[in-house]
Amino acid sequence: MCSALEKMPTPATTYERIVYKNPSEYHYMKVCLEFQDRGVGLNAAQFKQLLISALKDLFGEVDAALPLDVLTYEEKTLSAILRICSSGLVKLWSSLTLLGSYKGKKCAFRVIQVSPFLLALSGNSRELVLD
Amino acid sequence: MVRFKHRYLLCEVVSDDPRCRLSLEDRVLGGLIRDTIARVHGTFGAASCSIGFAVRYLNAYTGVVLLRCRKEFYHLVCSALPFITYLENKGHRYPCFLNTLHVGGTIRTCQKFLIHYNRRQLLILLQNCTDEERQAIQKSVVRSCLLEERSDEEFSESGDEEAAEAME
Repeated sequence: MCSALEKMPTPATTYERIVYKNPSEYHYMKVCLEFQDRGVGLNAAQFKQLLISALKDLFGEVDAALPLDVLTYEEKTLSAILRICSSGLVKLWSSLTLLGSYKGKKCAFRVIQVSPFLLALSGNSRELVLD
Repeated sequence: MVRFKHRYLLCEVVSDDPRCRLSLEDRVLGGLIRDTIARVHGTFGAASCSIGFAVRYLNAYTGVVLLRCRKEFYHLVCSALPFITYLENKGHRYPCFLNTLHVGGTIRTCQKFLIHYNRRQLLILLQNCTDEERQAIQKSVVRSCLLEERSDEEFSESGDEEAAEAME
């Protein structure tokens, strides 16, 4: 069987396969905060404080110190783009899921998009409207 | 074979205050470690470490503590030990810290290490003794090793002393 394979002619074009094992150190999340009652506002500092307190509740002081950045924040819609190192993505996502209230008011985090590349967050194919 | 695997952490309580070691209790220490893990690693850490957690051995004279935890989460317990800065008992607060001597998979390996460690510590402590203490130690060693045909009580005494040394 080996001799039959050797007699086959080698193809004219050769290809190269490059494998990236998670090239990106950071993951980017687009999230939106929803309150049960309308009319609750948070500024950027209070929003970040809320995120860190969610991490601290579930994972303690060690993981509350994860390098987390709020890249953009819109106060009107309460939506933000977060950046977290890849090892902390699961921890951040699970602590956002389990966050239930802010100052006694019920709220929930909606995760809209997650990607290891920031460029992917600029266009979301789910929001495409086909004419 | 399918069984729950544990890690045994051999630690030493180091403190300036001599009253700190005497007030060591296994329940107090266990509660303190659980609170520290909850503070450092949150709800997740507290829940995952508290399943197999126990204080297995405690020696108030030398301050040696043997802790048990599950193998999957022993790194959480290990990393929370440096955050213990004081020991509270009956309203008194003694500053202290926990020094990890050995991590073993079974109690037997920790015991072997502890015997070896204690033998080395005895030699180090002997060098720092005063003359009176040294004479007292020499007397007690000679008494336990001396073979006299006085009575059988001598032999049983020396056997008890050797057994006590091996246990520590």
